Amino acid sequence: MEQFFSEIAASFERTFITDDRWLQLLAGLGVTVEITLLAAVIGVVLGFLIAIVRSTHDMQLMGRKCSKPSDYLLKVLNVICNIYITVIRGTPVVIQLMIIYYVVFASLREGIIAAIIAFGLNSAAYVAEIVRSGIMSIDKGQFEASRSLGFDYKSTMIHVVIPQAFKNILPALGNEFIVLVKETSVAGYVALKDLTYVGNLIRSRTYEAFFPLITIAIIYLIIVLILTFFLKKLERRLRNSDH
Amino acid sequence: MTTDNVLIKVNGLKKSFGEVEVLKGINAEIRKGDVMVVIGASGSGKSTFLRCLNKLEEPTGGEILFEGTDITDPKVNINLHRQKMGMVFQQFNLFPHMTVLKNMTLGPIKLLKLEKAEAEKRAMELLERVGLADRANAYPNQLSGGQKQRIAIVRALCMNPDVMLFDEPTSALDPEMVGEVLDVMKQLAKDGMTMVVVTHEMGFAREVGTEIVFVDDGVILEQGSPEEFFKNPKNQRLKDFLSKVL
Repeated sequence: MEQFFSEIAASFERTFITDDRWLQLLAGLGVTVEITLLAAVIGVVLGFLIAIVRSTHDMQLMGRKCSKPSDYLLKVLNVICNIYITVIRGTPVVIQLMIIYYVVFASLREGIIAAIIAFGLNSAAYVAEIVRSGIMSIDKGQFEASRSLGFDYKSTMIHVVIPQAFKNILPALGNEFIVLVKETSVAGYVALKDLTYVGNLIRSRTYEAFFPLITIAIIYLIIVLILTFFLKKLERRLRNSDH
Repeated sequence: MTTDNVLIKVNGLKKSFGEVEVLKGINAEIRKGDVMVVIGASGSGKSTFLRCLNKLEEPTGGEILFEGTDITDPKVNINLHRQKMGMVFQQFNLFPHMTVLKNMTLGPIKLLKLEKAEAEKRAMELLERVGLADRANAYPNQLSGGQKQRIAIVRALCMNPDVMLFDEPTSALDPEMVGEVLDVMKQLAKDGMTMVVVTHEMGFAREVGTEIVFVDDGVILEQGSPEEFFKNPKNQRLKDFLSKVL
């Protein structure tokens, strides 16, 4: 019995204390958080833009012929966005990551930038479809009421449609962020020392799998729990208008 | 009848949805202070006619002169003209994510560039008039249908429009709430507001309307003053229609 505990203690020490491995894990966590946060920013900004192009196209040009030059521009943009979403959603994120790292940024070999861009571009495709579903879910009467007051299409989007759409899509958007956090665990493919990579490295050094793998699993879980907590809070705050 | 107080003049207005021609050439004249009540069976095109007046539906032919400007001209900035045309919808269409007060002041602040305090003061005066001042900070989902529609009316009034368009304003209401909305509309008419009202409320048409228009199958079949219109309907289709609704 005593031997069992001392073995566990030794294993714990090898995993966390020796060579300051807990610091490596901490650094790995830092990399994971950095990639996730910046990729999320790219994902949200780009995703919203794509969604606005797609839903504007659907609302204004569906079943109608182009009449103005701006209609043709919108049509072209919509085709580009469609291709983008199809390609991104149709290929694994690891492949996209490696293509960005080894092909697009071949001369740069800057793993962290490649990862932020790859995960950001990937997330944008999913965010775009989430946001579009939110915009399309807003009752046509809301557009009409806003337009009848004299607001143009853009102001209608900003003041009336997007705020309501955002509230509706918040759970789905939160889901996408949770997926994103965990997807970054493949960043090791482009030599990034993220949380998963460090955990696996420690496992290969100590020949002990239990502590490193369980630890990183728990850390991911905690990140997701924190994220969920704040999302719930935000949802509650935005819900004040439906009584 | 002088032409200089004509607010809206509609000439040969046509509207098709794909192959279906809903409006087949409508001519109408709305003068300042008129209360034009548009009646007709469902599917007759009366709502489409109303929605063409502020171009929520894009007309496919004809012209609409609003205060002398042909708003069917693509070069005209319709947003500026819409500010002068308030609209009230069957489904109220209040903005659910804003309080009543915010619903009412959004347009005046963003479009008319009023100071917030001034816009709110005006909104409160209007709320007072429709007896809903105590609901200023409520959200639309906390209100009854009749309250929502009264808010929708004063929201449009906040923009200080020259004409108010009503698209079946009482059709989505429970019967006991119809009266409170009609009362607001009657008061509005009494105050001299120019109104175009699509409705099935024949009592309102008779009492408040200055001009009744019967739309059938995309054209105006008959129009006239309420007394003439209801006492001596000439067209057989109108007689049939009135016998069903009265």
